[in-house]
Parts: sequence; structure tokens; C-alpha cells
Amino acid sequence: MGNELSRRHFLGAAAAIAGTAAATPLLSACGDGAQQTTGANSEAGLKAALPAYVPNTPVKPDIPSVAGGPDVLTDPGFLSYPANPVATVSGKPGKGGSYTAVTPLWGTVPTADNSFYQAMNAALGVTLAMKPADGNNYATIIPTMTAARKLPDWIQLPSWWNPNFNVGELAGTQLADLTPYLAGDKVKKYPNLAAIPSGAWRAGAWGDKLYGIPSFSSGFAVAGVVFHRRDVLEAKGITADQVRSAADLMNLGKELTNAKAGVWAFDDVWTYMFPSWNLPLKWAVDGGKLVHKYEMPAFLDAMEWHYTLATSGYLHPDAIAGDNANAVTRFYAGKTLIGGGGAGAWNLADHQSGVAANPNYRRGAFNALAADGKSAPRIFLGASTSEISYLNANLKPAQIEELLAVANYLAAPYGTAEYTMVNFGVEGQHYTRQNGVPTATDEGKKDVQAQTFPFLASPSAVVSNPGGDVVTKDYTSWQIANVKALTKPVFWNMNITMPQWASTADAAQAVEDTVKDCYHGKKKVSDVQAAISTWKSSGGDRLKQWMTDNVLNKYGTGQ
Amino acid sequence: MSSGPMSTGRPRLSRLTRLRRDRSLLLMTVPAVVLLLVFNYAPLFGLVTAFQEYDPLIGVWHSGWVGLEQFGQLLGDPLFWESTVNTLYLSFVQLVLFFPIPIALALLLNSVLSERLRNFVQSVVYLPHFFSWVLAITIFQQMLGGAGVLNQFLRGHDIGTWDVMTNPHTFALLVTSQAIWKEAGWSIIVFLAALAAINTDLYEAAAADGAGRWRRMWHITLPGLRGVVVLMLVLRLGNALSVGFEQFLVQRDAVGHDAADVLDTFSFYYGIATGNYSYGAAAGLFKSIISLLLIWGANKLAHAFGEDGLYRK
Amino acid sequence: MTMTIERGPTTSAAPRAVARRGNRAPWEEPPTTVGQAAKGLTLGTMLAVVVVPLWIIVVTSLSTPGAVNRAGGLVIWPDGLTLEPYREMLGDPTVRTSLLVSLGITLVGTLVSMAVSVLCAYGLSRPRSLGHRFLLFLLIVTMFVSGGLIPSFLVVTGLGGYDQWWALILPSAVSVFNILVLRSFYSSTSADLVDAARMDGAGEWRILWSVVLPTSRAVTAVIALFYAVGYWNSFFNVMLYMPTDSAKWPLQYVLLTFVNRGNGLPGSVNSGFGSTHAQTAPLSLQMAVVVLTLVPLLIVYPFVQKHFRAGVLTGAIKG
Repeated sequence: MGNELSRRHFLGAAAAIAGTAAATPLLSACGDGAQQTTGANSEAGLKAALPAYVPNTPVKPDIPSVAGGPDVLTDPGFLSYPANPVATVSGKPGKGGSYTAVTPLWGTVPTADNSFYQAMNAALGVTLAMKPADGNNYATIIPTMTAARKLPDWIQLPSWWNPNFNVGELAGTQLADLTPYLAGDKVKKYPNLAAIPSGAWRAGAWGDKLYGIPSFSSGFAVAGVVFHRRDVLEAKGITADQVRSAADLMNLGKELTNAKAGVWAFDDVWTYMFPSWNLPLKWAVDGGKLVHKYEMPAFLDAMEWHYTLATSGYLHPDAIAGDNANAVTRFYAGKTLIGGGGAGAWNLADHQSGVAANPNYRRGAFNALAADGKSAPRIFLGASTSEISYLNANLKPAQIEELLAVANYLAAPYGTAEYTMVNFGVEGQHYTRQNGVPTATDEGKKDVQAQTFPFLASPSAVVSNPGGDVVTKDYTSWQIANVKALTKPVFWNMNITMPQWASTADAAQAVEDTVKDCYHGKKKVSDVQAAISTWKSSGGDRLKQWMTDNVLNKYGTGQ
Repeated sequence: MSSGPMSTGRPRLSRLTRLRRDRSLLLMTVPAVVLLLVFNYAPLFGLVTAFQEYDPLIGVWHSGWVGLEQFGQLLGDPLFWESTVNTLYLSFVQLVLFFPIPIALALLLNSVLSERLRNFVQSVVYLPHFFSWVLAITIFQQMLGGAGVLNQFLRGHDIGTWDVMTNPHTFALLVTSQAIWKEAGWSIIVFLAALAAINTDLYEAAAADGAGRWRRMWHITLPGLRGVVVLMLVLRLGNALSVGFEQFLVQRDAVGHDAADVLDTFSFYYGIATGNYSYGAAAGLFKSIISLLLIWGANKLAHAFGEDGLYRK
Repeated sequence: MTMTIERGPTTSAAPRAVARRGNRAPWEEPPTTVGQAAKGLTLGTMLAVVVVPLWIIVVTSLSTPGAVNRAGGLVIWPDGLTLEPYREMLGDPTVRTSLLVSLGITLVGTLVSMAVSVLCAYGLSRPRSLGHRFLLFLLIVTMFVSGGLIPSFLVVTGLGGYDQWWALILPSAVSVFNILVLRSFYSSTSADLVDAARMDGAGEWRILWSVVLPTSRAVTAVIALFYAVGYWNSFFNVMLYMPTDSAKWPLQYVLLTFVNRGNGLPGSVNSGFGSTHAQTAPLSLQMAVVVLTLVPLLIVYPFVQKHFRAGVLTGAIKG
């Protein structure tokens, strides 16, 4: 490796890391030290760039948020929709500018230039050409756009790409720096943006500066949940709170599996279960030293349990065959009764789909548990948002201010007039009130529910399932019951950009492949052990050293 | 060598004479060649990424150079060799089991006299070609999987289950059967066209000479198919390092990566999916070079057997 | 399954000189029982292994959400039927415009590709013509070497192809495989016919047009089919060159958005992400998309098959 190359990587990495920790001494002098209540002083630069947090809840939730610690907050629950939504923005936010916005779309494409877009443009006072692109191919589409420097004025770049695509390198060259507009008290000009908790803004900060506007942020972002069919288990006299250890779950596997009847207790759970063996998502700090989960003996214990689960025949054969696409349908059909998944699955559409198959359908989740049944259970907090939008660096300051005012409109909290407009459209045309609940018309389903604008900016998450209050109650009470178990992982919410070799070692594809084969019962735990020792010698140990030198020792753990 | 009029084209003619003689022919190739130069050759500058540590967001021009480092790493990577071996093995199995089937089916279908039946069969059996692999494998899983129709039947009657979808040892047979099911109907078409091009007068004359149905097939039908069969065979050999991608991607979890990884999935998982683009590009370039050597060799082989291969010797 | 039929409509060429009893030429032997049985069995198996999955796909596409979710996957026996997925798709204005777009692209694309490929294949079909080996080499290399996605994108957008129709056609207009197949057929065109034409003083263009093309209608039809289904089903170039201009999308790309509904949302995201759209597309909708894709293919094949006979007739007559 040439000198120049290493330097580039170092700078790239440092710039990116600085986004979350930001300790350049030059800047820390101007940092707003007074606001700094947690973390090492390496947080100073970031604190200076982050917008102030000014909570704003015009509509009181039926199930209020419960705080569990810094940056940890359950999502508020709503059981009704206000009859007369209040406005939070007076007049039109825009000044008549014309812009193009690109967002990912996981759904059917709305008609181009439809009545909803027109109504939104009228309400916003700008001409915002919405250009949704297929979400499944978004990761192919965007790099081509950036390579040709064809980014639109406003674009959504989901943060789960960061390790692969180095968004940090676009920041400042193709993406606009928003620090001068939003840092500290400046955000108060945009009260709805100020109501987004600062944890979410961190995810869009790079090189000590603020670039991204968060969407769908939550103070209760978790990697996933171990779900179960509450209706089926309760019919057998099993309730979630009886399950307190890995052994309890294994017993459930035996009790619930009935292959002849086509019922297997489990779908894949590894991704959501392994932290129960007191394992970190990736890294832990033990006595000031960095340790990778692969190096911990508990990792093999966790592996052993999952291997046994599969080889005992408690795991559905389609799961073993890697058919994840139909996992949710198997769950509805009652062919599997326990399975892991993102907590986002706990929603109204899920309830309706399940009830269509079986009127008793009810989704439940196990509480956080420790494998041994004795230790304190933990659930790791994920990044507060994974969807971040950015403005084009070529925009003029007045244009940026105009679009931030638009973002402020889009981020209006639940139940306000603006929220109603963004999420339901125009009453009579896109939705009607049924039992007080805004219900989409066919036109609304097609053009409003496709969710384009919320990917540019949206308020932090709420739980609201009109017509399915049982879902809202179940989900919020699960969150409240587990809020104390929520723990920040090491390097939480830090945008770490690594050199290529390190991100290859970090991805550890060969180990992860073997791990998957093991929890499907096709490889033994000893095979995993062998893969791990190969990994250690072929990059793992070097990665640990790099992480220690460049991240831990410079910027701390981010916790 | 019996192409008749072109025997005027003796090798000794001067280039200029040949140019004058063949100018219409050359002119005819211009549109295709221009399109290929613009849309296939011009983008080849992207091959330099195999010698870089390429990052798509900063572009080819600004990524750092690493020389042959990617290739060195590749050749020392046991997973790379494992997937190369898998690819060649699967290619071999497909060549033996899959390649003859469309030819045989084309002959069979051609012998069906009812045109309406022929039409119906052919337009049905070519449909699976248009299924995505995801769908094709979902169907296989629902029929033959551990919880599929077959195994639930066996279970219901207390007969042992038959693990075919997740068994790495029989994976080559599984994927070949899937490929036959999905692609054979489609591959028939080109052979049917070749059969249609055979002059039927030849059959009549042969029958008049007392040749039976098998002798007619041997002496008229098969020679009529030879050109296109040899062409397909040469291309198949040249493509020995490509056995499909999506089919293996979808079933990788089912049988494990060491059975299912082929070169294309290797490039994907250890290149693109982990952001290691240059490593993937190096694997791709390596594959390209070997493929060109293979097709050159296959063509030589065809010539050695007195066949035309890709072009006349 | 055999049926006696009268021969389908044929070309202007004279009816087959040989009289047939049924469809059998008088010089052909009568079928043996064993042969017939083996043939029937093979054809029956071929059909069954395709028809059963097709049945499942069609039934699933017509199933209610409840039926799909009770089945826990594809539906084998009907259990609650509805036309809703079809109604939803065909009632969508974007789908309707995209159908026209697809027809246009397929038509224009196939014409362009055929013109380019036929010319090129014929131009390379003469042994010992000047430079044909070099040109073949030039063609074949592109089958195995590619510069990658982003360089292709840069070339096409550099030429101004972003959001342009031509970007959906020209970059994939030439299939070297198809050219090689055409060339292989042209090379084996009866030398006598070509000779005779040359004696009459016909140039290469004339020979291609009035000798080679009329005697190779089968392969022309097949290659046209290959190109046409390629254009009809392609979505990759759309994804690259007009990913956000939904008013211009062809049918397959629009249908993809139906299939992808809710798919690909990373499981790790818990964000109250869209109350309705975190839901994946019901299997019924996905299968309805498959059915809509297959229908035109069922319709188009007989038109290709028609040329399998006509080509030989003309050839035989000229000979």
C-alpha cells in the first residue's frame, strides 16, 4: 500500500468518525461546553453541531412515552385521531422554488403528477417534483447517480449503506452542510425539526458537521424481537412471562413442534437471540480493552444452543432452506409459532393479515431474557434512525432555508394539520373519516399511502393503529416492560468509516456463513470455531487493533 | 469446404481486392460493431477497478491504486478455489445431463405430427424460462422441501422423509434438475428452428431408397442439426465458469456456502456485498480471461474434429 | 391427446406437393405402439411438471389474503377466490400507460436489433471474407468481458441517455449469441441457391434479401422472439437509466413495484415505518404479476411456430 493510499484512508476514516465524536481541538474551543452533560470531551465538536432538542407534543398521547435512560424513550401510543387537527406552521413554508426529490419506494409507484402531489405543492408553496425509485434496487441506482454527479436537490440515503458506500465522502462535496442552519438554537426556527431527539441527528453527522435530516426516528430502535403467536401459546396455557431462559425456550420447542401436523415451533431466531448469552452485537469493552463477540466463549455456547434447536427438529424446514421471504406467511398460517423479526412488523397491516387467516390471531413478543435465566437481560439499542435525507451541495443558502422550512412542515407531529395532510392527504378526496379515523380512499391508497414525503422528513415514531388498538396496546406495553433492558452498545450511533480491508474483516462473511450453517444444523460448532480462528489470523486481530487505535482510543465508546 | 461460389476467394488475393470484393459484407457489420464499441468496449475502462481499491461514491478516477494486490489475494483465497471447483463440477454435470436433453426433446417434439399439439406443448413448456429463480425454488421447496407436499405425505404415512432441498451432497443433481425444468423448454426452440431448416425432400428421397426412420434420423436429421449443436457446445464450454447466479444465491442458505458458492456468487458475497468492489472486479476479470481461453480451446477442439465451431478453420 | 386437425393457414407458397394422409407423409412408416406410448409418456411428463406449477400460480393469484395466509405459502387447492389483485393492477393508471410503453419499446427494439443482427450475421457468414475472424473475435470478447455497471452508466449518460427511451434499447440492442446463431444458419444456407443468385448478377444485399432471408424464416422468427421477449421482460436498463421517471417506465418495471411492496425493508429498522407498507406484497399479488407476464408469451409462441414450416417450403420450391 502506497503512502498516499494510506493517507486517503486515514483521512476518510477520521473524517467519518469525527462525525460522531468530533474532537478536533481547534473546534472544541467553539463547542458549546455547557450542553455537554454526558460522554467524554471528544463529544464536544458533535455537540456543537447537533440541533437543540425542544420536545413538542400538541396532541397528548393515550400511552405516554417512558424514558429508560439517555436517548432511550418508548414510542408514545395513540388510540384515537384528533377531530380537529391543529396547525403548527402558519402560512406556506415555501417561497415558490422548484426542486426535485428522490426517495426509495417499497410499494407501488404513485401516479406521476397526481392530485396529492399537487395538493402538497399548494400547501408547501414550492414545486417539489417527487421522484420515487424502487427501494429494492436503490442500492444500485444511487451509486450510479453519484458517480455521474446527478444527485437531485433532495435525496434519501438510508444509513444501512454507510459501511459499504462511504456516504461520509459525499458529505461536503455533493451533500450540503446544514450545520450553519440547524446547529444548537438555530433549529428553533424550525420547531418541528427541533422536536426530533438529538440521537437521531447524530446519524446524519459527518466530519463534525450536520448533513442529514432524520426520518422515522425512534428512541426505541432495536435490532429485533423474538415474536410468538400469543393466541396459540395462550390457548396452551403458556404466557410470555413464563419464558425466562434459553432452556425454557428449548422446552417450548419440544412442546409446540408437531411435524406431522405441519407445525414447527421455531423460525430463524439467531440474529435476535444471541445477545441473550451476554454477547455484544459486535464489540464489547472489557477492562478498557476491545473484545469481539467471536472471541468470547459465550459465543460458542449460543451457537451450541441454536445448533441443538435445529438438529432437534424444532426449526421449520423452510427456514433451514433459507426461505425467509415466506416466514411471515408461515407465521400467519400457524406453521411456525416463534420467530425473530424487526419490531416494525408489529402493526395494523400485520394484524389484519393474521386475522384474515385466523380470527384469533395475536402477535406477542417475549421479554428480553438472559440465556442462563439469572443475569440481567439486555436488548441493544440500534441507531435512532436508518433513514436520512440530504440536500444537494449546489443549492444556494436561500434555497436550503426554503427546503428546511418544507422539512419542518413534513416533520409536524402526530395529529396536527400538517401531519394529516402529509399522511392522509385532502379530506373527501384522499381520505374520509370513518368512526373518527382517517381512512384512505382508493386514490389515497394509491398516491398518499405510498409514503414519499415522509422519507424526506418525518416526526419521531409513534405507535398508532387505528382500528387495531390491541396492536398499539400490546406493542407499547412490551416497549414499556423492556425499556430498562435497553442498553447502548459499544460505538452506538457512530458513523465509523473503515479502510477496505477493515470493513471486509468487519463483515466477516466467511464466519457469518458458517454461523448460519451452524444454526441451521448443517455445520458443527467446531466448524464455527475453525472459521473464527481463520478470521482472526486473516484480518480479525488486525481489525481489533485498528478499532482500538483509531476509534476506541480517540473517540471512546459512544455509549 | 463446399461453400461453392466463395471458392473464388483464394487465399492469395491481395487485401485490396478482397476489400473491394467484401466491402458490402463489411458494411453490413458496421452497425453492430459500432454499437458494441460504444456500449461494450467503451465501458471497459471500468476494468481498472480490479487494480484499485475502488469506492463507487468517489469514482474510478479518484480511487487508490494497488496494482496486482487483489489478484494475489484472490489466488491465495481458499474460498475462491472452492467456488472455482464447484463451478467446474456443476458445469460438467450440466454438460452431461442437461445439454443433450433439449436436443432429444426437440427431436421428439418434431416427430409429433399434430401441429396443434406440438404448438401447445411447446408454448407451455417454455414458460418456466420466464419464472424468476426465486419463484422456481419456492415451488420446488413447497413440493419437495422438508415441509413440502411430498414429505408431509411421507410423514403422514410414517415413511421416512426425503431430504432433497437441503442436502449438499446431492446439490449438483438438484440444481441440474431445476435448470432442466426451467430452461429445457426454452432451449428446444433453437433446435426446432434447425430441424425446420432441413429440406424435407431429403427424407422422401431417403425413404424411397429404403432408409428406415432411424437411419433417416442418423443420416439426415442429425447432420442437419450439427452446425447449431456444435455452436452451442462451444459456447457452453466457453461458459464453463458460468453456471448461473440467482439460482445459487437463493439456495445458498439451504445447502451451505461451501456447496453452493460458484464464481459469480463468490464475487457477489466477497466483493460487492461487503463493499469490496475491487476484489469482485478482480475475480470477474480473472473469470473473463479464463473464459476467453476456454472458448478459444473449445473452438480449436471443434476444428480438430473437423467441425466449424465459431468459424470455419 | 392426439387430434386430427386440418393444416393451419399457410403462406402464399403452393400447398405441400406431397399429399398427406392425416399429417403423415406417404413414405413414412406407421407408428409402432411402443414408440407412441413412450412418446406420449414423455410429452405427458413434460406437460405435467409445468402445468402443475402453473395451476398453483394461477390459484394463488386468485386467492384472498386469508386463503394465502391460511396456506402459509402458495395455494394448491382454491380456498376463497377473488379477482382483487388483477383489479388493482389493471386499474392502475401507471400500469396502463406502461403497457403502451412496453409495446413500443418491444416493437422498436426488436426491429432495430433484428436489422443490426441480421446484417452483421450475414456479413460474417462467408468463410474467408476479409476480416471476418477479427470481427468475430471482437464480438465474442464482449460475451465474456464487461466493464461493469457504473462504467456503462457513465458512457450512456455521457451520451445524454439519462431518462431517454433510446437508453432502454441501444445498449442491449446487440446480442452476440443471437448473431452467432443466425450466422450459423446463414452459413449453411444451400450453396446452390446462393450460386444461382450470383449467376443472375445479384449483389450481397440482394442475396441476403431474396435468398437467405426467405429460406431462413424459422431462425429469423426464433431470434426475433428472443429479442422481443428480452425487451418485453427487461427492467435492468430502466433501473439504471430512468430509475425515477415513473411516467416513462415500461410494464415490467411497474409490476416490479407491486412485487417489491414492503420487501427489502431491513428487519433491523424499527421506526414505526409506514403503518401499512411495512407489509410485504401478498403472494397473491406477486403471482398475479407472474400470470400477467406469462399471458403474452402464451399468445406469441404460435406466431413463431408458424414460420417453422413456411421457411422450408419456400426453400424447397426455390431449390
